[in-house]
Amino acid sequence: MNHSTRTYDSVLDLLPSEHNPTPIVRINALAPVPGFTLFAKLEWMNPFGSVKDRAAWEMIQDLEARGVLSPQRPEKGLVEPTSGNTGLSLAAICGVRGYPMRAVVPSKVPAEKKMLLKLFGAELDVVSDALCPLPGSEDGSVGLARTYARAQSDKYAMPNQYENRANVAAHVRTTGPEIWRQTEGRVTHVFTTLGTCGTVTGLATFLKQKNPKVKIIAVQPSPGHDIPGVRNMLELEVTRLYDPSLIDEVIEVDFKRAYPTVAELCRREGLMAGPSSALIFEGARQYLRREHEAKRLPVAEGGAGAGVGVMIFCDSVLKYMSNLAKHLPQIAEA
Amino acid sequence: MSYAHPEVLVSTDWVAANLKTPGVRIVEVDVDPKQYAAGHIPGAIGWDWNKDLQDQVRRDVPSPEAISELLSRSGISPADTVVLYGDASNWFAAYAFWVLKMYGHKDVRLMNGGRAKWLNEETRPMTAEPTPVSRSKYTASAPDHSLRAFLPEILDIARTKSHNLVDVRSPDEFTGKVIAPPGMTETAQRAGHVPGARSVPWATAVNPDGTFKSVEELKGIYLQNAGLDSAKPTVAYCRIGERSSHTWFVLRYLLGLKNVRNYDGSWTEYGSVIGAPIEK
Repeated sequence: MNHSTRTYDSVLDLLPSEHNPTPIVRINALAPVPGFTLFAKLEWMNPFGSVKDRAAWEMIQDLEARGVLSPQRPEKGLVEPTSGNTGLSLAAICGVRGYPMRAVVPSKVPAEKKMLLKLFGAELDVVSDALCPLPGSEDGSVGLARTYARAQSDKYAMPNQYENRANVAAHVRTTGPEIWRQTEGRVTHVFTTLGTCGTVTGLATFLKQKNPKVKIIAVQPSPGHDIPGVRNMLELEVTRLYDPSLIDEVIEVDFKRAYPTVAELCRREGLMAGPSSALIFEGARQYLRREHEAKRLPVAEGGAGAGVGVMIFCDSVLKYMSNLAKHLPQIAEA
Repeated sequence: MSYAHPEVLVSTDWVAANLKTPGVRIVEVDVDPKQYAAGHIPGAIGWDWNKDLQDQVRRDVPSPEAISELLSRSGISPADTVVLYGDASNWFAAYAFWVLKMYGHKDVRLMNGGRAKWLNEETRPMTAEPTPVSRSKYTASAPDHSLRAFLPEILDIARTKSHNLVDVRSPDEFTGKVIAPPGMTETAQRAGHVPGARSVPWATAVNPDGTFKSVEELKGIYLQNAGLDSAKPTVAYCRIGERSSHTWFVLRYLLGLKNVRNYDGSWTEYGSVIGAPIEK
């Protein structure tokens, strides 16, 4: 593999690392405050289209290293509860490696993702969203995936992105070092969302080790949201990877604001950011304006701004057209 | 203090110890039948509520002939102990319990906590292997309609307030904000609730692990907070009669109220009747 000529023997060589990072791109027209450099890290530039490539690859490598999966035993593959992107990354990697893959998705997952999962060869189970919710129940996608893994352990292993430490390790190994190197160690703020919390826990672990002053800001959508792939704090009981000690602040954003911001980022910055990325941008904007007014942002000698923020733009807008049609109906008009 | 009829509830430990006990038949009934196909308790039979526990032509519980055939092909004999469990804290397992009781099966029990509790206990076995069944010959008795309420009585109760009426649907369904939870095909023409009904969502009766709350907690919920009068007969309803079977089970067997019935016509019937009074 040669990153300088971008010539590769396998698509898996494109998976990110410190030496093959996803790009970070500076926000210009929409820069929230003067003197603060804000970058978007374009995770949709990963080979299978989202930040989840990182966790998926790390979890599969871990299962192979432990002998749970083996190209010599192609009858055994994976089952995973997923809102789409982890399943998609897993399905693509499994396809290349020759393993079968079953994805269990909640019915609210956008049609685009369900189609992509099938396109990449995953068997798909769509589970009804709670009809009459029972908090804390093991029903739904996690329960069904765990049932497969328990009852058909000869066919399925369940990586379980919500509990698997490899999900965190992926970001300690790649996302954190990438950001450190790409900002030449100048990063002061990272803005991300909460979901499995693998991303936030992993990159915060790495960056706070490098510089304990780096602020980690988690942006959450308002309760009852319609932002695929992210969670409000109220929905975090499913994950074991959430470590509040690594998060400096959680900013809540009215989820409906994310949708017009999708259009704003496309039109003003040329960034085809999806709803979760737009939510992060909205959170970063609110946070930075507030901190700027309070004069709490880092200032270099001579008064120039010294703050450098990086936003994890998890996914592009392309898989969320059905959500956009709902929240920005004017986009869907012929 | 224990439940009024503790014999109708078994624990996951009890089921684990009785997987091979002759005369014990375990049956899984889920909201989502994919769950059984993916994996079930070894030896359990799976029933599909839509195909096996509904009349396939008219809107009704299965006929005596259909129930006899279901139990016969499931290898169940009249003297067997039938242990039911399922997803959603036993919604449809409770509905199957109600149907079996209506058809006079003597020993029916629920596994407390349902399939989620079994799954959460890491050492419990599960299998996707089909359960071999030796056909039995089961002749169901005529249905006991004293466990069931029908529309004319509900219209009468709405007028006279002669019964406790418990609406076990979600608060949004009760207040008429929605007619049914999103994506449900069985729905009504109008939203709201039967006049005089008390709102006690079904899940109020269960703990986070899916097991039933203690008798003291249940008394607090239904008798003190919701104000049900234990001297009056009681009817529970929901949208199509399954969530209300769950509450019917709680009121009849755990709290031991006398004369509790399930209105399985529920909101899909009542909310579509011309002229029926509705409160929002």
